[in-house]
Amino acid sequence: MAQRLIKTRREFFKVAAMAAGATALAACGAPPTAAPAPPPATTAPAAPPTAAPPTKAPAPTAAPTAAAAAPAPLGAQYIGKLEGYEIQVGAARPANLKEAPMLAELVKAGKLPPVEQRVPDEPCVTKPLREIGQYGGTWRRGFIGPADGENGNRMVSVDKWLFWDYTGTKIMPSLAKGWKVSEDGKTTTIYLRKGLKWSDGTPYTADDCLFWFEDLYSNPDLVPTPDRALAPGGKHGKMVKVDDLTIEFRFENPYWLFELVLAGDMLPGRGQATGQFASWYYGGYAPKHYLSQFLPKYKPQAELDAAAKAAGYTDWKARFQVLKDWERNPELPGVQPWKVVAGADITKSVWVIERNPYYWEVDTAGNQLPYIDKIQFTLAENVEVINLRAIAGEYDQQERHLDVQKLPVFIENQQKGNYTVHIDPGTNGGDANIYFNFSYEEDPEIRKWILNKDFRRALSLGIDREQIKEAFFLGLGTAGSPIPDPVMPEYPGDEWRTKWHTLDIAQANALLDKIGLDKKDAEGYRLRSDGKGRLRLEMDCTGSFLPYPKLAEMIVPQWKKIGIQLDIKNLERATLEANRNANKQQLMMWSNGGTELLYLYPIHALPVQVNSQVGPEIAKWYSTGGAQGMAPPDPDLKKCIELYDEAQTKNLEERNKIAQEIWKIYVDAVLAIGTVGLSPAFLGLRITSNKLGNIPARHVNAQHMRTPTSSRPTTIFFKS
Amino acid sequence: MLSYILRRFLLAIVTVWAITVLAFVIIQLPPGDFVTIYINALQSSGSPISYGQAEAMRAQYGLDQPMYIQYLKWMGMMLQGDFGMALAWNKPVKEIIGDRLTLTMVVSIAAILLTWTVALPIGIYSAVRQYSLGDYVFTFIGFIGIAVPNFMLALILMYVGYKYFNMSIGGLFSPQYAEAPWSLAKVLDLLQHLILPALILGLAGTAQLIRIMRANLLDELRKPYVVTARAKGLSETRVILKYPVRAALNPFASTIGYYFPYVVSGSIVVSLVLSLPTVGPLLLTALVAQDMFLAGTIVLMLGVMTVIGTFVSDLILMWIDPRIRMEG
Amino acid sequence: MAIQTQQPDAEERISLATQWQLIWWRFRKHTLAQIGAVIVILFYLVALLADFLAYSDPTYVEAQRSLLPPHGIQWFDDGKFAPFVYGLKGTRDPVTFKRVYVTDTSQKYPLRFFGKGFEWKFLGFKFDRHLLAVEGAPAEEVLFLLGTDSLGRDLWSRLMYATRTSLTIGLLGVTLSLFLGILLGGISGYYGGPLDTFIQRVIEVIRSIPTIPLWMGLGAALPREWSVTQVYFAITVILSLIGWTELARVVRGRFLSLREEDYITAAELAGCSQLRIIFRHMVPSFLSHIIAATTLAIPAMIISETALSFLGLGLRPPAVSWGVLLQDAQNVQSLAISPWLVIPTIPVIVVILSLNFLGDGLRDAADPYG
Repeated sequence: MAQRLIKTRREFFKVAAMAAGATALAACGAPPTAAPAPPPATTAPAAPPTAAPPTKAPAPTAAPTAAAAAPAPLGAQYIGKLEGYEIQVGAARPANLKEAPMLAELVKAGKLPPVEQRVPDEPCVTKPLREIGQYGGTWRRGFIGPADGENGNRMVSVDKWLFWDYTGTKIMPSLAKGWKVSEDGKTTTIYLRKGLKWSDGTPYTADDCLFWFEDLYSNPDLVPTPDRALAPGGKHGKMVKVDDLTIEFRFENPYWLFELVLAGDMLPGRGQATGQFASWYYGGYAPKHYLSQFLPKYKPQAELDAAAKAAGYTDWKARFQVLKDWERNPELPGVQPWKVVAGADITKSVWVIERNPYYWEVDTAGNQLPYIDKIQFTLAENVEVINLRAIAGEYDQQERHLDVQKLPVFIENQQKGNYTVHIDPGTNGGDANIYFNFSYEEDPEIRKWILNKDFRRALSLGIDREQIKEAFFLGLGTAGSPIPDPVMPEYPGDEWRTKWHTLDIAQANALLDKIGLDKKDAEGYRLRSDGKGRLRLEMDCTGSFLPYPKLAEMIVPQWKKIGIQLDIKNLERATLEANRNANKQQLMMWSNGGTELLYLYPIHALPVQVNSQVGPEIAKWYSTGGAQGMAPPDPDLKKCIELYDEAQTKNLEERNKIAQEIWKIYVDAVLAIGTVGLSPAFLGLRITSNKLGNIPARHVNAQHMRTPTSSRPTTIFFKS
Repeated sequence: MLSYILRRFLLAIVTVWAITVLAFVIIQLPPGDFVTIYINALQSSGSPISYGQAEAMRAQYGLDQPMYIQYLKWMGMMLQGDFGMALAWNKPVKEIIGDRLTLTMVVSIAAILLTWTVALPIGIYSAVRQYSLGDYVFTFIGFIGIAVPNFMLALILMYVGYKYFNMSIGGLFSPQYAEAPWSLAKVLDLLQHLILPALILGLAGTAQLIRIMRANLLDELRKPYVVTARAKGLSETRVILKYPVRAALNPFASTIGYYFPYVVSGSIVVSLVLSLPTVGPLLLTALVAQDMFLAGTIVLMLGVMTVIGTFVSDLILMWIDPRIRMEG
Repeated sequence: MAIQTQQPDAEERISLATQWQLIWWRFRKHTLAQIGAVIVILFYLVALLADFLAYSDPTYVEAQRSLLPPHGIQWFDDGKFAPFVYGLKGTRDPVTFKRVYVTDTSQKYPLRFFGKGFEWKFLGFKFDRHLLAVEGAPAEEVLFLLGTDSLGRDLWSRLMYATRTSLTIGLLGVTLSLFLGILLGGISGYYGGPLDTFIQRVIEVIRSIPTIPLWMGLGAALPREWSVTQVYFAITVILSLIGWTELARVVRGRFLSLREEDYITAAELAGCSQLRIIFRHMVPSFLSHIIAATTLAIPAMIISETALSFLGLGLRPPAVSWGVLLQDAQNVQSLAISPWLVIPTIPVIVVILSLNFLGDGLRDAADPYG
């Protein structure tokens, strides 16, 4: 089997990596030079597999080892090697700068200064994945309307001070030149790039950062409540200008986590595109020279209101909301690689973003990036149409809105559509977790059992995860507990994947009998201990992202085998959220996306952010400092929350250790039941046109990597 | 006569008012409001939000006020010709609907034309040759449109079109024409894209029309003047087409008024499946997002169109057939 | 209904026939309507006998049998009539990612008519007999006449139950509409005046609002505590709340025109009581119209149910209805790799066409003197 699949040397490495388990993936994080050099001409290692008959497959020299290993796991064909760009930190600006032909023309016409004056003196030098690319072309994608802003934001997410290397585990400078955290952890310094300019040519300086902090973020008209991520231990930090190219964040408490906050997808470090679209006013900086003319602090409010009314808005605020939004305002200066084209903003049926002539990134040969001229998003009123268009090869690269259930159709049409299918499993451990509401109160009997560790363990042991994996994840993904991917530093260890998370009906029944649920009715269901008939658990689910209600239906007969009756509440998303916030949920099913960086996105693991399904009342208790809501009633959950708090002021290494500790308690006490995780269900199906170069075989699929920014879109190019 | 028209007109105004109330209520019925839905959407894309932020947004959109105040405010704006802001778009409702209304008209008219070209001949044939094999065969074909769930038909045809005929998938324009100014090439592009929606929406309406045509014509054919015409030796085609068909068409013409809004409402689901940039999908997204001003405007617009259409229909009918003047 | 004279000539026969006889004769001329009637009756029989006609538990889930294509019955074994099915083995192809099933001819499972299968309840009694049953293995694991869905549930069996749900929704909804329609339309037509004007305005308002926002508003407002049965009932109510207006119009129109008829005036002059006029003279003459209108309203209800499911507002799993089945098929992968999931469209089309032709035939017949 394995032999039949292996066709090239590169393929062998993939298979071997998969067979050796996920730890091998970590090894793949080695620099690309360590891997066998791929022929530069082919980006797509896996030619449409059906094309080559198995007999013609050349036997690789290293085959015996591969053959000895277990058959390649499902998906090995499409899950490539994790690979990507390299940022050359501190590299000098290449002597010979080059620019795109469309910009060269403008320079020639005198409409634009020469490239040497546009690219910063200290640019970001990036080594593309495989080769130096060529300029030109339009990258076609699909989007579903003005609410789909993230579709574009995620293409330009390098406009953050800090980002990651391609593995998503190491923080790297991006828009900023560098950063430093002080010895005591209380100060984080950001160093800006010298000569960095906005897309209209105006220099970008510390004043733009201060403008954001003082006039946007600290303006109660715009941001009514401060962001927790800027207030460690409840004490709000402040931004200080050191010099034109240096700013500092100063906090009263040590805040080692802050660099992670800036690099991750949290509000203060999100950058302009993601931080200031729609009704947001975050991101860390804003173009002062442009936006200040629309703020009452700098202009009479009456004048602004009048201008707003004339433009059809109720007041200056409503107008300002649009003016500062990169998706809607073509005049807004930005630092993104592409900026929106006039007349083709996100509210139109074709949304086009075009290269920023002042973009601050160059490749190692001195070519100003990005390679591709334009990105064009075409409107589809529904997701099925996006998928069909992708299947037809109408997009050059698309991962957003693609449905893993359609994978066979995508594979079948690879040749016809001239694209390659990639599967990028997510790094979060639970794509269909069953959550317990630890603050549930309505039915004391149910509450009693939710708070019983053995009851939760029994429920977990009663789930046949392989069935779920096969039916809903096409056999992809990993069955087990909700702990993150092994490459993540917070991973507690292999044994925690399976602890209490395997199918064992006998043990489950024994546990339930032991805790006093030993009486059953005629149909074999266990009875409540208060004598009020059958014990019925309710699980809320909604059909967003994954067909959770159908997935839950699969668990109903499984739990019947351990005598537990499960009632599914298939709800509208809004109704589900309303019930959750009203503390009426018993169980619910959802993903834990983001929890692979526990401190950044704890909401789907611990009730420490408002509206957490793990216990909305506990979340209220936590966010009000104990003034309202309910203290965590479960000792294990309480311990986890305490550890989480303790970690906030610890340094990276200690923090990771504590996270591992939290996950161990989490799994052992089954604070949430994991079913299948590390799957490509979210943004994990990626199709790329065979015309594109520098496409990684696999890129990191995670919230903090702003997928597909993990592919570094600026370095992708059309090969001819 | 005039007083009747005036009375009908006043009643129509009352009806429109009732529609505004009903529209407001049904849009508010689902739990939550625009802000909750919006925040949920953002939260699932990883943007945490604070309670304060939500409250501020509610205040900005006026969603923190009691229902009746919101309604009165909305009505006040409507009366001034201000349809409010489409919240998710951050743009005045007028601007967004304007673009799509034209295309909605185009699609609906194409569908109506198709309905007529299919339904009228079948209707006439099946009345003239009642209970013949041809009657059955054509009626059967004409009726398939109402029997197939059109969301399914739309998806199947779209898929088959892609798979076997290399047709472009969904939409009304190719990307290069979508935002381009009107030109001959753009019109041709549009016509090409119109085939599928016109077929699906048009066929959905044929059954109803065949029925009316057939019934009306059967009534006419039994009338003495037809017998007289035949007796005088006119050719059968002439006998039928000259007078009875015309007479049978009269009540037909009178239904045009409300047929159009009816087609528009009927096209919502198909427009969504085929990804047509019409008001249909806009209405659905607005309803799901509880975008009050956008959804309210569209519902109200369709409602008012129906009321006006019915009013006009009644007037036409009265003009054609004086017998019904005193009724209603 | 016996014909009184023995050999009447046509003229005499017609003049002597009762109204219902006339309707029947006229109906007999409409071949399509008769075919429709037979099909409708057959479908309602399916609805009644759904448990018996299904052979697998419609909720039985097995991922290893997901998306299994229709698996035919072998009718002859060794030249003798002895229906059986071969065993199946399924895997997922690691290259194409499709589920692949290989027939295992070494395994034969004989089929039995009226054999034992899963247990079902009817009117409080328990049964386990089914039209088709398998020997040697549970039917859920080997018999797949129309294939399976993504959870490995047998489509044929689900279709049987879906037919029951959807056809009864149609009937229940129409009954409710009919009640509202006759009541309000009758009041409107018989009394006239301001009450009539008011009811007519209400009808106009309801008809002026596009149905989808109405559905979405009402559908999303259903309380979460409601069970599947309650939601089912609520949906019929929603459908009929919108559907009654058409019937009310028909009823009102009939009342209005009958009021002016000579024979009613004659009855009034002869001193008949109001009740007698309504029930002896008016109702029989428009009952046939009502029946026809009702028959034509059922398909609208059925289609509406599927549309509600499409919008995610209709019946939700674990309930099975045509709408639920069609929603399962409403995606690209169903068309491309498991086209059998689209099969439920066929009964929908057949039933709706049949009901329409039946209704048309009835309507033609309802006016026997026309």
